[in-house]
Amino acid sequence: MLLEVHDLHVEFGTRDGVAHAVNGVSYRVDAGETLAVLGESGSGKSVTAQAVMGILDTPPGRITGGRVLFQGRDLLRLKEEERRRVRGAEMAMIFQDSLSALNPVLTVGDQLGEMFTVHRGMSRRDARLRAVELMDRVRIPAAAQRVGDYPHQFSGGMRQRIMIAMALALEPALVIADEPTTALDVTVQAQVMDLLAELQREYRMGLVLITHDLGVVADVADRIAVMYAGRIVETAPVHDLYKAPAHPYTRGLLDSIPRLDLKGRELYAIQGMPPSLTRVPPGCAFHPRCPLARDVCRTDVPPLQAVQGPGAEEGERASACHFWRECLHG
Amino acid sequence: MPEQPQQPEGAIAGTGAGGAMDLAASEATALERGPGGYGGRGGQDKPRSLWSDAWRDLRRSPVFLASSVVILFLVVISVWPSLITSGNPLQCDLAKAQDGSQPGHPFGFDGQGCDVYTRTVYGARASVTVGVCATLGVALLGSVLGGLAGFFGGAWDGFLSRMTDIFFAIPVVLGGLVLLSVVTSNTVWPVIGFMVLLGWPQIARIARGSVITARQNDYVQAARSLGASPARILLRHIAPNAVAPVIVVATIALGTYIALEATLSYLGVGLKPPSVSWGIDISAASPYVRNAPHALLWPSGALAITVLAFIMLGDAVRDALDPKLR
Repeated sequence: MLLEVHDLHVEFGTRDGVAHAVNGVSYRVDAGETLAVLGESGSGKSVTAQAVMGILDTPPGRITGGRVLFQGRDLLRLKEEERRRVRGAEMAMIFQDSLSALNPVLTVGDQLGEMFTVHRGMSRRDARLRAVELMDRVRIPAAAQRVGDYPHQFSGGMRQRIMIAMALALEPALVIADEPTTALDVTVQAQVMDLLAELQREYRMGLVLITHDLGVVADVADRIAVMYAGRIVETAPVHDLYKAPAHPYTRGLLDSIPRLDLKGRELYAIQGMPPSLTRVPPGCAFHPRCPLARDVCRTDVPPLQAVQGPGAEEGERASACHFWRECLHG
Repeated sequence: MPEQPQQPEGAIAGTGAGGAMDLAASEATALERGPGGYGGRGGQDKPRSLWSDAWRDLRRSPVFLASSVVILFLVVISVWPSLITSGNPLQCDLAKAQDGSQPGHPFGFDGQGCDVYTRTVYGARASVTVGVCATLGVALLGSVLGGLAGFFGGAWDGFLSRMTDIFFAIPVVLGGLVLLSVVTSNTVWPVIGFMVLLGWPQIARIARGSVITARQNDYVQAARSLGASPARILLRHIAPNAVAPVIVVATIALGTYIALEATLSYLGVGLKPPSVSWGIDISAASPYVRNAPHALLWPSGALAITVLAFIMLGDAVRDALDPKLR
């Protein structure tokens, strides 16, 4: 197993009290596998990723429990120095907004080359050659001419390709992509996603794809983990989840996708608002918005339990709903 | 004022901050060209960076041009005063005390019979030296301390913030009277040291704030996620993006340090005779301002123009470096 996050807890000290951003998240990613982590803003998906990468700002953030096993080592127990050597070389991250994630005062060649000078001790000259190779790799036209350009001279799609090139420069075993296509327009989204998927296959990387876009997920992911209020509420192989969700939240998400055959009707929306992380509702955090909620949901936190149903044989399915059977068949 | 879009570069070989900008701009241009030029893009898509944009704006700013000419002139005469005067500021003739202007002595004579023109020219050296050295010292000390506080935060930040509060609470002139009155040395260095001691908290606060702003940028997170060390992040990713406000404030402060040197010298705790300084001359001329106003007006005028030139330069630099004004 490449990455195993086990019962991770992260909280933030804020003025309104302690915000429980991540409450016992567990997931696993194998080499060559793509896990999509799906959730709305504030569901804890990015915080989980930052904790895994070790770039969480502490303070105000605090990892209060859990383990992050990467190739068998618990990253949370490594010294910062050792951790830094892992970052970039063995695991890397792709950010959402490439304009702000690239340094505006350095040329893209300098930033790509930095990967090789820092981790591989290459000379600046060799690093620049490698930078051009990488830009070719992610299909940036006229790479040799553009290696000396600044980030703002590239289009959004090209910049995101450069981000991808930086993350993949040292062929890491694991890549976390935090909403890599959200800032792009739809046609470019598809190209960038295709490129990422292709490179992933080639290098046999594990990929954690953080997104709130169900369309992106369907095309590239092998498995999905749906997050709500800092917990994983459902995990399943991607097609089974689309066919028959086993959690009312997942069902709500799928029902709110606009569909061409239902043109003209009112679009479904999950009622209510996501909870504030400083005041997560007791019991199941989703109960105030849930059509299936009963008394037990207001008091007991539902554990993530194995689901028997479509897809249960080929990969494990799990749901954190007291009434997953009802949801699956209803 | 007619637009001059094609002003040749280096028409005014700027001095002080102007010179630094010049250098930064030409370096940026060299970097941007990179190896192999622009391929098929025809070059109309000019590469732009904060510094090259700022330099382009500055070249068109009349305020910048006027103040750099004045500052260039001041720097030249403070290095080579003999270029425009053959007199000796310390060779005085009491018989001519308080006399008005004469051939060869356009500004007349002061109360000691010294040539006011020569003394005004030589006075520039003290002012420029104090202004430039104090600013460099303040900018270095302030940005290092403030930058580290902003970057590392925590206890060091808290300690530093309280320290700046303490230094802010010291009245500058009173502090100068107390601290400098015990100094016997007759060079510019105690004055510069005093200014650095009291001036660094201002820059430290600015540097701290802009480092905190820059630290929150995604590219800093990205650099961390790719394994960059704290030193590399601070020097390569944060510092170049946080230095602009420091440059602006330091340039404006330069003018005020020159005024402060004159104030302290006027009060008798800055430079002392036989040093030559505008503040000393203003102080010496003030008792008999009714009989010989020229002895007061020329050094005061020189001081006012110098301070104004540096403050205007700072203003122009701020306008050019502030992207929000663009």
